[in-house]
Amino acid sequence: MDFSRDPADEAFRAEVRAFLKAHLPAELAARVKLGYHPLKADTQFWTSVLHERGWSVPHWPVEYGGPGFTPLQRHIFEEECFLAGAPVLSTQGPFLVGPVIYTFGSQAQKDRYLPGIRSGAEFWGQGFSEPNAGSDLVSLKTRAVREGDHYIVNGQKTWSSEANLADQVFFLARTDPDAKPQKGISFFLIDAMAPGVTIRPIISLDDGHSLNEIYFDNVRVPVENRVGEEGKGWSYAKFLLENERAFSAEVPRNKRYFARLRDIAIAEKRHGAPLIADPRFAARMAEAKVALESLEFLTLSALYESGDTASARPIGSVLKIRGSELQQLLLEMTAEALGAYATAFYPEPWAERTNAYPPGPAYAPGAVGELYYRRAATIYGGSNEIQRNIIAKQILGL
Amino acid sequence: MRFTLNEEQTQLQDSVRRWVQKNYNFQQRQAIERSAEGVSRAHWATMAELGWLAAAFPEEVGGMGGSTIEAAIIAEELGRALVLEPFLACGVLAAEALNWCGTDAQRAELLPAMLAGESMVVLAHAEQEAGGEVGFVATRAEQTDGGWRLHGCKNAVIAAPLADRLLISARTAGEPDDTHGMTLFLLPAAHAGLVQREFRTTDGQRAADVLLQDALVTAADVIGDVGGALPGLRTAHARAIAVLCAEAVGVMDQALWTTRDYLRTRRQFGVAIGSFQVLQHRAADMYVAVEQARAAMLRALAHIDDEDADRRDEAAAAAKVQVGRSGDFVCGQAIQLHGGIGVTAEYVIGHHYKRMLLLQQLLGHPEQHLRHLAARLAQNE
Repeated sequence: MDFSRDPADEAFRAEVRAFLKAHLPAELAARVKLGYHPLKADTQFWTSVLHERGWSVPHWPVEYGGPGFTPLQRHIFEEECFLAGAPVLSTQGPFLVGPVIYTFGSQAQKDRYLPGIRSGAEFWGQGFSEPNAGSDLVSLKTRAVREGDHYIVNGQKTWSSEANLADQVFFLARTDPDAKPQKGISFFLIDAMAPGVTIRPIISLDDGHSLNEIYFDNVRVPVENRVGEEGKGWSYAKFLLENERAFSAEVPRNKRYFARLRDIAIAEKRHGAPLIADPRFAARMAEAKVALESLEFLTLSALYESGDTASARPIGSVLKIRGSELQQLLLEMTAEALGAYATAFYPEPWAERTNAYPPGPAYAPGAVGELYYRRAATIYGGSNEIQRNIIAKQILGL
Repeated sequence: MRFTLNEEQTQLQDSVRRWVQKNYNFQQRQAIERSAEGVSRAHWATMAELGWLAAAFPEEVGGMGGSTIEAAIIAEELGRALVLEPFLACGVLAAEALNWCGTDAQRAELLPAMLAGESMVVLAHAEQEAGGEVGFVATRAEQTDGGWRLHGCKNAVIAAPLADRLLISARTAGEPDDTHGMTLFLLPAAHAGLVQREFRTTDGQRAADVLLQDALVTAADVIGDVGGALPGLRTAHARAIAVLCAEAVGVMDQALWTTRDYLRTRRQFGVAIGSFQVLQHRAADMYVAVEQARAAMLRALAHIDDEDADRRDEAAAAAKVQVGRSGDFVCGQAIQLHGGIGVTAEYVIGHHYKRMLLLQQLLGHPEQHLRHLAARLAQNE
């Protein structure tokens, strides 16, 4: 155990800051910091900027175009990007399907799909959950029946984040209904525009649109679009979910939330004094900061223990539970700090139904909508109750 | 950065763990607790022989050249067994205070005997009114012809009845919370005007209120500079807090795994109670809490050599808060999940809760540290 610091890491931080200063447009950062659902054009633009610098897939192995960051460098990179208000990389391609493709995919799949994920040219949607297969994902019913060089797919997927922006969709379907549930699932890739694929919006509590249903109606999926072996889809999905959790403390996002809360608590006055001078509010903020700092160090320890692969022990479940709870706490406190302005509905600036009189200061819009949206943080990626099952079973042996 | 133990650190951890397993099961611990002194002098000598007292100190004062990380590794293992010998009070807090406040000559003269286990010294610093604030000392050192006259009261000094010498803070100038004017004096336990009111702590340790009733001292008793003790004391406290947190992590981690074993063996309704999801989730939350506490403790260690003392102290304070929150929850729920047996004196699990409560009080209660951190929120960054 050794925590001595490498001056190279601070030099790297300065390098990232300088890069952000030079390349991140101020109006884009301001839009992102409000916390609305990202615009595809924004995410795409920023991914391409990062791609030119070689930083668009910071967690990928070097052989697939990753920059070869150390865990600490990656953490510094993500933190600086978040705090500066850079658009977040799309989760679906770079974080979820990308690692599955470079780990289990064919050479042809790597050649076809990885460049588009790296450059941001192609966006992905996820087809895992179904109306009757949520936490019990393995009971999924979508069928893929082999017919010569194709699979014919029928079924319905739901909670598909960003499928409305997607050019490609990755999904799980049952290829063998007679095998044990875990053994009969395969992992597929399909063009979002393929005949028979229909994507419908689900509007979330914030009146925003990032969630979708995907319907498969006799969709013909070429056999070469199956990832890995038939019947092994469940193990690839578990790999993907474990990867997802490894980043799920969302420390940089939580840091951005905390920084915004602090700015608002300094700006907002109560009884003639800044809210941050209120001992009770400040103590609660300090307590959240302690939780955040602990979570950050826990994340670093997990990254260092595991290198760039999924952690040896399922520490991801711990990160996921606390990271998601902390997001909600910070957003609730932000709503509290906004006072009367927390009551106003601030539609996304580009929404059709605008609000005639959006009251309050420039920092008021966005936060409450984000709170509504992040109620899902304790549900998506495996609900926190499922995470507790995982800890009880895999770590505690209960 | 490296989060896993290196080979030497692993050996150290193994050595402490093996010793604890052999010498410190709960029955052995209770026998020591009921003995006249409440500690085993033989064990203390062994701890010194094995190099545990010297591990974190530089070689020029008889140490082994390690860092606070080594002390934390030791403390975590001692915490698992609720060890009674005063590693934290004498081996860390008092030794660090001497190391950071003393002159080079004093360090070279005094520390080797302490690290060798031959001399037991405690730091008599905390006062009830200070509420855990390192900078607050009301005990007065009034100038006399040949030196000073000490008057005041130091509260709940752990292991004071065992010590042959006491390191006492007193104010040679200024008001109780001034940054200047604090001075350390090293006095033999049998010094005139130094009175100990001894008591047992709730977790079976020995402690005392140390009364200074016009104790006369001279310049020869002063450690370090007259009026300049605070910076060194702050450094010593930050280090001791990090080590205390490591001990607390050991206390709660062991409570968790003892509880896990109980959930697997205790049967009700015809099944092991660990098969009930409500108890599984509680145990999972305990695990999460332990991991958070450990991370906060490691973070404090990572900042322990920061040149910016405020940053260092904030990391230590944050660890004390997180460890306090986690420890309360884990040790409390460890009792809850054991049911009735958990509240009996004869079973070990409740004693984890008792040690945790003591650790909450020492070196500043979490709420005190939280007040500090809250007040600084508007200032930093």
